[in-house]
Order: sequence, then C-alpha cells, then structure tokens
Amino acid sequence: MKYTPQYGPGTSVVAENRRRQMDPSVELTKMRKIPDEDIVLILGHRAPGEAYKSVHPPIDELPEVDCPMRRLVKPTEGAMHGDRVRYVQFADSMFNAPCQPYQRTYSEMYRFRGIDPGTLSGRQIVECRERDLEKYCSTLIETEMFDPARVSLRGATVHGHSLRLSEDGMQFDAIQRCIMGEDGRVKYVKDQIGVPLDRQVDVGKPLDDDWLKTHTTIFHSLMGTPLREDPEYIEYLQRIHTLRTKYGFMPKEEKR
Amino acid sequence: MSQTVISSHYPQIRICSIRMMKPETCEGLLNKLVEIPGIRRILLHGQNIPKVIPYGPARGIENVTDIKRRITVGSTSCDIRMLVGDIILELEDDCIIGVIKRVCDDFFVKFGFVMQEGTFIKPTPTMVDYARYGPKADPDIIGMTDPRSKEGPVMIKSREHGNNPEIRCENDALEG
Repeated sequence: MKYTPQYGPGTSVVAENRRRQMDPSVELTKMRKIPDEDIVLILGHRAPGEAYKSVHPPIDELPEVDCPMRRLVKPTEGAMHGDRVRYVQFADSMFNAPCQPYQRTYSEMYRFRGIDPGTLSGRQIVECRERDLEKYCSTLIETEMFDPARVSLRGATVHGHSLRLSEDGMQFDAIQRCIMGEDGRVKYVKDQIGVPLDRQVDVGKPLDDDWLKTHTTIFHSLMGTPLREDPEYIEYLQRIHTLRTKYGFMPKEEKR
Repeated sequence: MSQTVISSHYPQIRICSIRMMKPETCEGLLNKLVEIPGIRRILLHGQNIPKVIPYGPARGIENVTDIKRRITVGSTSCDIRMLVGDIILELEDDCIIGVIKRVCDDFFVKFGFVMQEGTFIKPTPTMVDYARYGPKADPDIIGMTDPRSKEGPVMIKSREHGNNPEIRCENDALEG
C-alpha cells in the first residue's frame, strides 16, 4: 500500500489551510511580485549586485571524499558554491496572519532543502546557504504565506505578534521597519535588523480581513475560527497530550 | 507589616481601544477628556518606542520612526514615545463615568473600545518605589511612571469650571 501523507488533522478551514501550505504538491498562490534586488535589500546580508561571500571552495573543486552521504544527497545550489549560512526571521501576528511560526517550520521542511529552522512562539528563524535563502525568501514573501501588514521580516526586536494591531492595521513594530504609505501600500524603510534603507521597498497592499479569515492558519476565538469548532483537531491534540504525559510510563494507546 | 493603601477610595476606569492608538489619536482623545471636570489622574499605558535600536547587530543606532511625537494636552506638552493601548483615569467620583463614555462613543468611530472599572494604578508603593522616591513619597506619584524612567509625570492644570454646566451623575456605562 502506498503511503499518503495526511499533513495534519482537522475539518476546519484553518486545518485545511495548514495542510495546503505543508503539502509540497500544492502550488501556493502568488499574490505579489517583489524584485530579487528588493529581497536582498530587506535581508541586509549583502548589497544588491555584490558577489556572494563563501566559506569554502565550490564543491566541484574540493578533493573527492569517499562518503556515502555525498553520493546520496545532491547539494543545494548554495552549498555547491560554498556560500555562507545566513538567516531570515518572520514575526506573524496572532490576528489571522496567513502563517504562524510552527506552521512555517512544517511548511518549509516539506518544501525546501538544506534549511535549519528555529521555532518560537511569535517568530520563526530559518538559516540556510545565502543563495538558497534568497530563493526561499521570494517564495515566502510573494505567495499566500505573507501579508504585508500582519507578517513582517524581523531579524531582531521582534515584539508585537500578540499585541493589538495599530490603527492602520499593521502589526506593532517598535522600530517601525515597514510603514503604511499614503497610497495604502506597505513599504519597508529599514532592513530586517533595523538599518535604514537607501530607498523604500514596496511589498504591496495588505490583504483584506475577509481573505485573511479564510486563509489564516491560526485559530482565534474572537477574530477568526475558534479551535472548539474543530473537534477532530481537539481529539488529536488531546491524544498527543495524553501520550506525552504518559511517556515515562511506556505509552500504549488504549484499545477502543 | 502593614501597608498604607493610597487613593483606593477614588474610582478608576480603563479605556481599552481595539486598535493601538497613534500619538495624534491619543492627543485628540485626551484633549476631549481633560475638558471633563473631576479627573484626578490620567495614566497612558502602551508599547514603548525606544530611542535607539535595543537588540541585534544594529543595536545602538538611532531608531528613526514617525511614531515619536510630542503631544499637547490642554496647554501642556509632553513626549509620549509610544503607541497607546489603554488610558487609565482616576476620578474624583463615579458620577462622570457616563460623560466619559459618551465622549468615547463619539470619538471611537473607526474602531471600538471597552471601558472597565477596577483598580488599575498601583495602590501601594513597592520596594522599587521606596528606593526611588524614599519613605515620604508623594502618594499621587506612585504608579504613575516607570520607576526606572528618568522622566516624571506631567501636570495638566485645570481651568476654573465656574461656567461649565452641572454634570449629572451617570455611572451605568461600564463593561467587564
């Protein structure tokens, strides 16, 4: 029998959105186009047009090593060129942001190669080779996993995911990396660590509330879909909780 | 050890807006509130906008934002440097709660608010207050500023209210 991954439990729209983002066979809807140069500017690791710095010679130039893993695993483009390992970090608002830290890690692990994610309650960092990072970032920013107002790139000073939104609907940011322009479009004026940019980077208009409510991957009892409306998800969570609690006592699921 | 409870007999209310208020919006609301006689103390509670970037590789460089702003309430100016989430008011008595509710109802049109009654300002001095202000601290100062801040509270002088109409007692406007 061929195994078909389920990706996650649940019958609600939130559960469906989570599965959709995790399933690599689903092509995510492209919502905006951000030039590669702009992504390089927001990341702030190198100047646009600057050559990639490397930490080792290209793999083709390295001496042959008799290693079974090298024969099994094809290196990513960044690894092939010996790029440095760099990072991007996202902070996602609890108010119906289209992605969430844990969800981000699951999705990235299914969709990308050669990454090292770190997951926290309100932010998620992912490290990988610089060339790969820029490619992955364009997916993360241009598709439905990003909303200019409720998701933002924050290398440091990330506080804001659990706070009320500001008047213009933006997630609170103490160092105001992105601003809402007069034309209703969100523009980055600082890179992800807070260094002012030479020019503004336009990431488009925020998505409307109805769209966010139907495409979010977080449960929210006031703003969106409450968890209690998805009994299948609750059953799954309770099962995981029970097994974790009993872990030290040889967990065995009871026969029904 | 007995602790002296300060100003506990004064009613307090908290106005929580659904969205965090920019300084301009907060200034507009405060200027309407200070017109109401009978408010003893106003405490603004919100998220700080630091002067310099506090963490990361850019730590220490100036934090340039358009949020920082000096606001003028009545005839007094002060620098608030934050997005305001809650406005806490201490009142002489609860008769003006209805008036404050009406002012808020008229003011919050783009997003909602919740008004609650309770104890929101620290009623007794803590050890940190003792270290900062000493044993003879002014009771009205306690709980009004962050003890680590070098800035003190701002005094807004009230006008004579001889010409103001009599305010009827209305205190049935609370939630929560």
